[in-house]
Amino acid sequence: MEKTGAGVNIIELRRITKRFPGLVANDSINLEIARGEIHAIVGENGAGKSTLMKILTGLYQPDEGEIYLNGNRVAINGPRQAIWHGIGMVHQHFMLIPRFTVLENIVLGSEPARGGVLKEKAARQLVEELCRRYDFRLESDTRVWDLSVGQQQRVEILKVLYRGAEILILDEPTAVLAPQEVKELFVNLRNLKDQGKTIIFISHKLDEVLSIADRISVLRRGRMVGTVLAGETDKKRLSEMMVGRPVLLKIDKQESQTGQETLVIKDLSVMGSMGRPAVRHVSFSVRAGEIYGIAGIEGNGQTELIEALVGLRKVHTGQVFILGQPIVGKSVREIKDLGVGYIPEDRHHRGLVLPMTVWENAVLGLHRTREFSRPASLYFKKILAHAERLVREFDVRLGSVDLPIRNLSGGNQQKVILAREMSRDPSLIIASQPTRGLDIGAIEFVHKQLIKARDQGRAVLVVSADLEEVLSLSDRVGVIYSGEIVAEFRPQEVTLEEIGHYMLGSKAQPREGVGA
Amino acid sequence: MKKRFKYLLLEIASPFIAILFAVLIGALVMLVIDKNPVEVYRTMFLFSFKRLDSVAIILFGMTPLIFSGLAVAIGFKAGLFNIGIEGQYLIGTFLAALAGFALKGLPTFIHLPLVILMGMLGGMLWAWLPIYLKVKRGVHEVISTIMLNYVSFSLIHYLIADVFMDKQQGLAPGVGNPIIRLPKIAATAVMPKMHSFLSNFGINLPQHVYLNWFLVLALLMAVGYYFLVWRTPFGYELRAVGHNPAGAETAGIKPGAVFFKAFLLSGAIAGLTGLSDLLSYFGYMDLDFPRGYGFTGIAVALIGKNGPLGIVLAAFLFAFLNRGAEGVQAFVGVPMETIVILQGVMILSIVVFSSVMGRYIRQQEKKEAALGSAAGKPGVTVGAQGGVK
Ligand SMILES: Nc1ncnc2c1ncn2[C@@H]1O[C@H](COP(=O)(O)OP(=O)(O)O)[C@@H](O)[C@H]1O
Ligand SMILES: [Mg+2]
Repeated sequence: MEKTGAGVNIIELRRITKRFPGLVANDSINLEIARGEIHAIVGENGAGKSTLMKILTGLYQPDEGEIYLNGNRVAINGPRQAIWHGIGMVHQHFMLIPRFTVLENIVLGSEPARGGVLKEKAARQLVEELCRRYDFRLESDTRVWDLSVGQQQRVEILKVLYRGAEILILDEPTAVLAPQEVKELFVNLRNLKDQGKTIIFISHKLDEVLSIADRISVLRRGRMVGTVLAGETDKKRLSEMMVGRPVLLKIDKQESQTGQETLVIKDLSVMGSMGRPAVRHVSFSVRAGEIYGIAGIEGNGQTELIEALVGLRKVHTGQVFILGQPIVGKSVREIKDLGVGYIPEDRHHRGLVLPMTVWENAVLGLHRTREFSRPASLYFKKILAHAERLVREFDVRLGSVDLPIRNLSGGNQQKVILAREMSRDPSLIIASQPTRGLDIGAIEFVHKQLIKARDQGRAVLVVSADLEEVLSLSDRVGVIYSGEIVAEFRPQEVTLEEIGHYMLGSKAQPREGVGA
Repeated sequence: MKKRFKYLLLEIASPFIAILFAVLIGALVMLVIDKNPVEVYRTMFLFSFKRLDSVAIILFGMTPLIFSGLAVAIGFKAGLFNIGIEGQYLIGTFLAALAGFALKGLPTFIHLPLVILMGMLGGMLWAWLPIYLKVKRGVHEVISTIMLNYVSFSLIHYLIADVFMDKQQGLAPGVGNPIIRLPKIAATAVMPKMHSFLSNFGINLPQHVYLNWFLVLALLMAVGYYFLVWRTPFGYELRAVGHNPAGAETAGIKPGAVFFKAFLLSGAIAGLTGLSDLLSYFGYMDLDFPRGYGFTGIAVALIGKNGPLGIVLAAFLFAFLNRGAEGVQAFVGVPMETIVILQGVMILSIVVFSSVMGRYIRQQEKKEAALGSAAGKPGVTVGAQGGVK
């Protein structure tokens, strides 16, 4: 690789345009990355950040525009070529093989070998040298399945370094981490920077970006809004650049007026898909008029817990009462008919039937009610009126309720689900990752609706991997770790630091303090 | 509704374009074997449509295909691929034949419906095992239905040849060989022809045409299929489960139950497939009872895009091609296989064209949706959406 082009910019993108059917994901984007900086790219979901990075790593080809590395124009035809140019991507979804060791995972795909025989010693030396140089604390012989998420991420970073990357791209690396792990990651990143690496850091969390980046570029709807120095901006100004208008950064809500216990969970255990217990002896309750948030790193039993509550998964042991009625063994329909609104974590998989129209989706689950049908016929007029009412009341932006719902943006799809579930007039709302993948406008809207529901005296259970969201939304918070609720508190009562410890399982409240 | 209408037109157009394409390929094949394609196609049309009795033969020929096409389609709607129509209708036909010859002394208005019900029951019976295995054990229905097709072939052979074979076929001793078949059904189980009804309208069909009331039943079934799938909550659940079982389940629909009902229904309709031949044409079931309607039904459902009208038209198309094939074979000396090639190309090109068209439509919809939301009008209603062309 020639490093002679002595310009400061290690990468220059000029007028990069990438179109997908029906939208321009990157619209004539200019971007300059200086050698040795940590450059953050922020933007709402769907702003085109990942697309731009995929172009940089050769996963997509731009429709227009040029890429310059060290002042030389290049074409990047694939990840292999990207890494040859010194550009490496740390993926958001880890691509590690759990049963392999750290070392094996790192060398996999570019093993040093002679005559087909792996030169394990050389590989080991190289990897351990890398660990030392960047102060990555990893044992090369640990199997990946024994590693925490944060450690796995370090393996991913090492993989890229091992292949000789000078420029590291991290696409939303903190989405899966607890606060402590984020701190550790940042320490690692600063080390890398000190050793002369260039880092492109993608995120939509502004606090993080402000603390780690040297410069910040903002994307909005496929366009480059501008690049600013991290030291010369703040959260408010950045979020305005991102959204294009002033944003409320704090959720405002009143004190909660709680009533009777709407949802009571007693000693609940649920099996996961692998036949291992995913939820273990969980007890807590949610009152009418309060939002109970479940915080925790993803994969700690949240999905199984919620699925058991709505009847999608079998309860192993324990009891659950909704409005005083035992629901263990009841079908999804019976449970929902008790007055439960459910916003599933994966709207495409669980929440909607994408090829069906908006109006058909607006009555999904309500289609058997006497209002909308008799066994012999569906009442189209009433269903259409219902769909249009929901669309109006929840401000769903669409061309026509008569088109398949897959055409709607994520935010609008979520609004349809929210509207549909609220139209059941539920006593209990179970919302799992309700704002995942939505833009700021839609997130605000969903939050407002959940708080409004609470103020109307409904019980709300929210599960979210976004700690900030859980803390700002909830009246009470339970932290789930490895299938257990390890702590329960009011959001103001504890420090972020402490919550992080609970999330990582390095600390638990004394037993009687939990779920009492 | 204008927009939908435009897409509907496009969607309807795609099979016709595909048919045209297939006709061109067919013409090439004919040129290769040194026949004049214009001449061949002309003969096909004239032979098929010039005479009323030939049209009636086509209508008779399309009857079983409507049933098998509908049976396949209802499975498709629920996301199930019922390849077992073949076996299901053979078993259905057998049970119907059994009830047809074994029960005696019943009046027609009891015997005939009973025999028809037995046909449906047989089809359902043969559909039960695969769907049970799928829902309870996760066995893919394609595998199990294919297997059961083979089982049914052997079983029917055994039942006809070894168990119920008609030994008194009334042949004079030493004259000819008895055919291996079941006894003839009773006169009270015969489905009447449509001749006397049609003669009221001045349409007089000769006796060698077997057009019967099963055609009307098939058309009614297509109408019923439409209402069931698009107008009832059950049909709604069927489509929801067909597109996304997990989403349907979350909404409180039980996918397993819907699978069961849909598949049994599919089997029941499949059970009617052979009855027009049995109860009107042959009057008995033998070892050479027509096979293959089940497989043609898959093509019919595919070309008809699982819609009731499409299925009827596609069934008509196939019946016409079969009839036309006889004509060109007899009069122009073009082998039957040419027409088989034509059918094959037709199926292939329809699959390709409709997938291309589907993609185009989805793109258009996406653009339209983007326009709608960019315009920032919340809640544009169905009635008011004619604005964007
Ligand atoms: N392969 C693809 N095909 C079609 N559209 C895509 C594809 N990848 C991304 N998009 C669309 O492009 C836009 C930008 O996506 P993305 O770059 O992933 O945004 P971000 O990473 O900023 O959230 C989104 O609207 C997304 O739906
Ligand atoms: Mg992204």
